[in-house]
Amino acid sequence: MLMLHLPPLKKAQRLVALAALLLLAVLISPTAADGSRIFLQAGNLTDILRQVSLIGIISLSMTFVILTGGIDLSVGSILAFSTAVAAMFLTRGYTTHMAVAIAAAVAASTLAGLLNGVVIATTGIQPFIVTLASMIGVRGLAKWLTSNQNIDIGFGRDLAAEFAAAFREKAVVIGAYALAAAVSWTVLARTVFGRHVRAVGDNEKAALYAGLPIRSTKIAAYLLSGLFTGCAGVLYAAENHQGNPNAGVAYELDAIAAVVIGGTRLSGGQGSISGTIIGTLIMGVLTNMLRLNNVDSNVEMMIKAVIIVLAVAVQRERNTN
Amino acid sequence: MHNVSLPEHLQAVAITKRYGGVCALNAASFSLRAGEVHALMGENGAGKSTLARILAGSTPADGGSISLDGAPVRIASPLDAQRLGIGIVYQELDLFPHLTLAENIVIGNLHFPEGQWIAPSRMRAFCAPFLDQVGLHMDPFLPAAALSIGQRQLLVIARALSMDARILLLDEPTSSLFDDAAERLFALIATLKSRGVSIVYVSHKMDEIFRICDRATVLRDGATAGTVEVPHTTPAELIRLMVGRELQLAPRGMSSPASRNSEEPLLTASNLCTAKLKNVSFDLYRGEVLGIAGLVGSGRSALGAALTGMDRITSGTLTHAGAIGLLPEDRRLQGLMMRMSVLENATLAVLGRLSRFGWIRRQEEQSELAPVMRRLALTCPSLAAPVSQLSGGNQQKVLLARWLLRNPAILFLDDPTRGIDIAAKQDIYRLIQELAAVGTGLILVSSELPELLRCCDRILVLHEGRLAARFAAAEATQEKIMNAATNVAANAAQPC
Repeated sequence: MLMLHLPPLKKAQRLVALAALLLLAVLISPTAADGSRIFLQAGNLTDILRQVSLIGIISLSMTFVILTGGIDLSVGSILAFSTAVAAMFLTRGYTTHMAVAIAAAVAASTLAGLLNGVVIATTGIQPFIVTLASMIGVRGLAKWLTSNQNIDIGFGRDLAAEFAAAFREKAVVIGAYALAAAVSWTVLARTVFGRHVRAVGDNEKAALYAGLPIRSTKIAAYLLSGLFTGCAGVLYAAENHQGNPNAGVAYELDAIAAVVIGGTRLSGGQGSISGTIIGTLIMGVLTNMLRLNNVDSNVEMMIKAVIIVLAVAVQRERNTN
Repeated sequence: MHNVSLPEHLQAVAITKRYGGVCALNAASFSLRAGEVHALMGENGAGKSTLARILAGSTPADGGSISLDGAPVRIASPLDAQRLGIGIVYQELDLFPHLTLAENIVIGNLHFPEGQWIAPSRMRAFCAPFLDQVGLHMDPFLPAAALSIGQRQLLVIARALSMDARILLLDEPTSSLFDDAAERLFALIATLKSRGVSIVYVSHKMDEIFRICDRATVLRDGATAGTVEVPHTTPAELIRLMVGRELQLAPRGMSSPASRNSEEPLLTASNLCTAKLKNVSFDLYRGEVLGIAGLVGSGRSALGAALTGMDRITSGTLTHAGAIGLLPEDRRLQGLMMRMSVLENATLAVLGRLSRFGWIRRQEEQSELAPVMRRLALTCPSLAAPVSQLSGGNQQKVLLARWLLRNPAILFLDDPTRGIDIAAKQDIYRLIQELAAVGTGLILVSSELPELLRCCDRILVLHEGRLAARFAAAEATQEKIMNAATNVAANAAQPC
């Protein structure tokens, strides 16, 4: 009770944290031969954006899922499934249009998300358990489809190679993230669905009494998660030149981390897209900064652990009731 | 003022508490004499619950001092309070529903002797005298969830007694009790007082305060507005202290249900059965206020659940012309989205109307809400403020706004004035009359019989899921209703 306009304050806190991190990254950045700071080079800054784009896209839809009070552990597996479907369509002559391959991968992933949502909404089994099951099951499906082999996308002039060349462009990847972010922000802030998502996560019982469509809201959140993850999978396949049934392991954890660093309450009802974007950037800048300074990747994980706990500790609700 | 010289037992001086920019307590002072029942009054948001929580160690104060029998004490945690002999019964009873009665008493209890090994026989022996003292004659190994709300309250009091509480803080203890449970509580308070326990009684309810309290301290806007000897004051004086002005309790302008025979009812329930209701039959007419009396657990809330389709109707029929709105019993658990804004909460159930292709039309959202807010006299710092910042009365008005925007033909109000301040109650009574005047059919559940008698045209009394009696308001009295609700007189039922 009585948290007097804390949300904007928290938002300011997150921005300050990001700014401080950027400043630190600049200060400790190694310098190039001409004396300029490598961190500030345009190429490096856009590299950061590109590197966070896939997790970034997934964490946007994860924000919706977490806002409903749920969680989606299956996104890493769905991403792998998406890369596999895209690569199969591109390399096995199922189609001559890359749009068909992309649509197939995204549709397959969306279907997986829909399945998560339907099971969660109709059985009432906890989302953690349902998506844990599909994390295992969809991974198995991806491996089964590909006989546990990577499907390589060549560098030649065939359809697959054209696809990879087009969709690994920095501008395309970053543009896709920016578009997804804009769509997510608008949907959450301006639509009935966005309002329902927060209402269901805030107080499901009250949502029931108010006559809100709880089931379809939940189903739509998981469907969105599958859709966005499918798009991320397409970008992954292009970037890595392969459909990889073992891709995306532990992506769900990175996405959840970005969401909670961004101030979204893990039990639902409170959070924002802008927060998730800042959370994603904090993780991306941190990784880049540490790697530029040749920090051991194991140490990097330990530092990230501390950042996650600190970020959530600073933003936690000072709930007095 | 012959007993002014009595020693002060517990004294709190200049207690201050801030939440962010809001000052919940502003140098409030309070003192309690040994063996007295001392009412702590004030409108919602006046700071009385905050003060109680500070005295119980569950909320830290930002400033001020507390002394016990003249010696300064520090109450930094509930454990400190327990050591000092201060116990509290919160409004939302803080029990572990899946643990047994005995476990609830023993857990965290410094007086339960030594060791980690909790033998059932020792628990039983430890708990029995305290359960006995509060009159809870039940198997101590039942889960707490099996108790009614009134019984849970007794359990919490038993726990406090087992912690050797010499000072007992009761935070709005009768807000969810029906009169018979309240009577038992008053008797218990009298017994405890005779044994020298000092009691701080946080409440709004005048009749209770004049019945059981020796003194009353009134808080207004976080500061002490005054302390009075109850025998030497009047309700008007207390209300003046609480709100800073005189308030009139408006009498009910009775509408006549006499000419209804020819009219089609708005709602007809015949032999309605659900898991919690048995053969309930009644009609509701346009512009009628139908009161529902009954003990907690008698089926009052179950009736709302049945009418709105939350509970499955196993047999019988329900016909109604028009939508049924339900204002639930517990606004925090069943009504509000506490993290969402006033605006978002109010318009939640009508977003379909306020949107186009899924896009919320934000201008219309605000322009539709504005007149409803004026009608309810709903005040808030801004439409974007989270409802958690509002007083209980204004929170309830936000929920009412949700239903007014929906404009249902039938509105089921489940204890709408529970735990809210007098001014907000007046606003809700006025609204009920206004809605009835424009033809809405209202069903009003209440734990306060005077409220039912004042607001309703007819009153149904439920007992154990059955309709025990029905009265026209003119012929109903508190006594008749109580008899029917407790099934004292099996012949109380009279058709009307």
